[in-house]
Amino acid sequence: MSTVEEKKSNPLSRFMGDEANAVSAWDAEKTHVGEIVESSTTELVAEAPQLHGAPSFGQFVRVDSEMPIIGIVFNVFTHSIEPNRRPTAYGKTEDELRREQPQIFELLRTEFQALIIGYIDDMGPAQVLPPYPARIHSFVHLCSDEEVRAFTLTHDYLRSILNTSSVPTDELLIAALRQTMRAHGGAQAYLVRMGKELSRLLGDDYDRLSSIIRRAAY
Amino acid sequence: MQAPRKKRHSIARGRSRAKCSKGTKNSAMLDLYAVKTQIDEMVADERHAQEDYREKLEIAVREYRRWSPQWQRLAEKIARSRTSWLMPGLVEALDRPVPLPARPEQISIAATDGSQIFPDRHEISSCFLINIGYILLHYGTGEKPLMSSKPSLYYRDEEVFEDWDGQRIFVNRELVGAKRGLMEFTELADLALVAQEMGHRVLAFSDGTLIQWSLEGKPQDFKKYFLKATMKSFDKLAAAGIPIIGYISQSGSQELVNALKLGLCPQQAADCDRCPWRKENQLGLDAEEKEILDEQLWRGRVPCSPVEGLNDAVLLRQILEPGQRTPVYRSSSKILEEYGPHWIYFFYVHVGPEIGRVEIPQWVAEDEEMLALVHTCVCDQAEKGQGYPVALSEAHERAVVRGADRETFYRFLRDTFVKNDIRANISTKSFKKRHAGI
Repeated sequence: MSTVEEKKSNPLSRFMGDEANAVSAWDAEKTHVGEIVESSTTELVAEAPQLHGAPSFGQFVRVDSEMPIIGIVFNVFTHSIEPNRRPTAYGKTEDELRREQPQIFELLRTEFQALIIGYIDDMGPAQVLPPYPARIHSFVHLCSDEEVRAFTLTHDYLRSILNTSSVPTDELLIAALRQTMRAHGGAQAYLVRMGKELSRLLGDDYDRLSSIIRRAAY
Repeated sequence: MQAPRKKRHSIARGRSRAKCSKGTKNSAMLDLYAVKTQIDEMVADERHAQEDYREKLEIAVREYRRWSPQWQRLAEKIARSRTSWLMPGLVEALDRPVPLPARPEQISIAATDGSQIFPDRHEISSCFLINIGYILLHYGTGEKPLMSSKPSLYYRDEEVFEDWDGQRIFVNRELVGAKRGLMEFTELADLALVAQEMGHRVLAFSDGTLIQWSLEGKPQDFKKYFLKATMKSFDKLAAAGIPIIGYISQSGSQELVNALKLGLCPQQAADCDRCPWRKENQLGLDAEEKEILDEQLWRGRVPCSPVEGLNDAVLLRQILEPGQRTPVYRSSSKILEEYGPHWIYFFYVHVGPEIGRVEIPQWVAEDEEMLALVHTCVCDQAEKGQGYPVALSEAHERAVVRGADRETFYRFLRDTFVKNDIRANISTKSFKKRHAGI
């Protein structure tokens, strides 16, 4: 129904294809931060609904599905949507460009990649890879503090991050720890608990451990 | 860099076997060696022509400057003469290039472009598709632009067969092209009107000429139908006071050069059909009369030939400074007699990389404010688009149907036909094109 209403309210809708109209109708009531455009068991790529509108590095995200999938954003990138057209320098500020070259912002997309660290089923959060990957075009939402807290009561997600070679491991650990600490109300005890787990995971690499803890607690 | 890749691809698929040449190593497709030889010949000819060209250009510039202060005399001569070429209506002084006016801070530009998939009798269904790209850019406000496209599929009997002059014909490329051109224009007018209703000061940019000269010689009812629809859109735009612009890049028009040609003609009133310098018109003249005429020849050619072969853009490159436009001229195309109050005028403008031709209806040409707005917006658009109006190039990007899209379209079509169990045949030729065996 919302599509019909949107069509009525936007006088330009008659110049748009059905799909574009449907998208703009969705935009009006959007709560998602991304839509999945590539999906595998271990990673996903999602398109942000707005330019520069991706969640930040290290944020926890949830994919809508029967069995919600939890991931951590490890890469955000903005690029041209047309393969044979790439941005060139204009020598203008973004504000000037928005006023005088408005078309370029329609030709750019922001996407982000998230590392899958678990899912939620009837039994509650599971810090293991989901049995099926997220579906293409599923919506991605930010996890609320409560969801982050529930998901990170145990520390297994730290191992998931450490065991992945395709992400900036230490930086992602730090960003994730800062997120989870905030969700846990900044509790020092939580950082101490995670620190102990990290020291176990990193073995005797004391320098690396202290660098991570120091920066996460900053 | 793409061409060789394409070529290899085609060789691999072994298409067009019948079209290959003999004796080359890769015996498929184009014989590049033979082409190279011909390119060399072409370049040699071209170099010769260019030397000639430079001299012609100097003469043209000299003639332009000579006539500038006395343009009214030239205008009178145009009115008196009967030439076989298209002449510009001179309504303003020639020697006054108009400097670039300032652009209002807030302005919106509407543009459309179209593209099509032509009907193909070798395909599963003889339908055709027209895709219109819509652009509405708002300047100075940061407002989100409209950049979209909308495809329309035509497949019903009454859509793929048309009756013109009592003849029922299956749509061909020409008809689809005409339909697309008309849609581009009527949709542009509608888009601009909606934008104005939304509170924007808007200009409408159309790709190419506003003069539907191709309708000349078409069946009467066909011509009438297309003109009626075009005039309806013109009427709406005129009533709303929305300037409509036909922008022509790389224009080969020669109207101004034609005026200079006429200026070179020693006769008071030229009549090309009876040109006395042409041998076929000299029957019955005595030797003395012939000698006098021969003295007026230019290198053995008729007196108007020194500027022959030049076009207006090349000439005006020497005259205009960046941002400047020529005065407005009245087009003399015959079809405009059917345009009523929307007679087309034109001017040329130096947009930097090229001299663009801008066509406008009479009510824009006669309104100083609208004319200045058109001038400044054309230059601004061209600057933003590195030489070509950005709204038009974006409209093209939205509209264009590339080869791969066409393939996908027919694949969709075939799959959907099969899924719905509809009987259809693909021609043997089309099948062979896709699956050429060895």
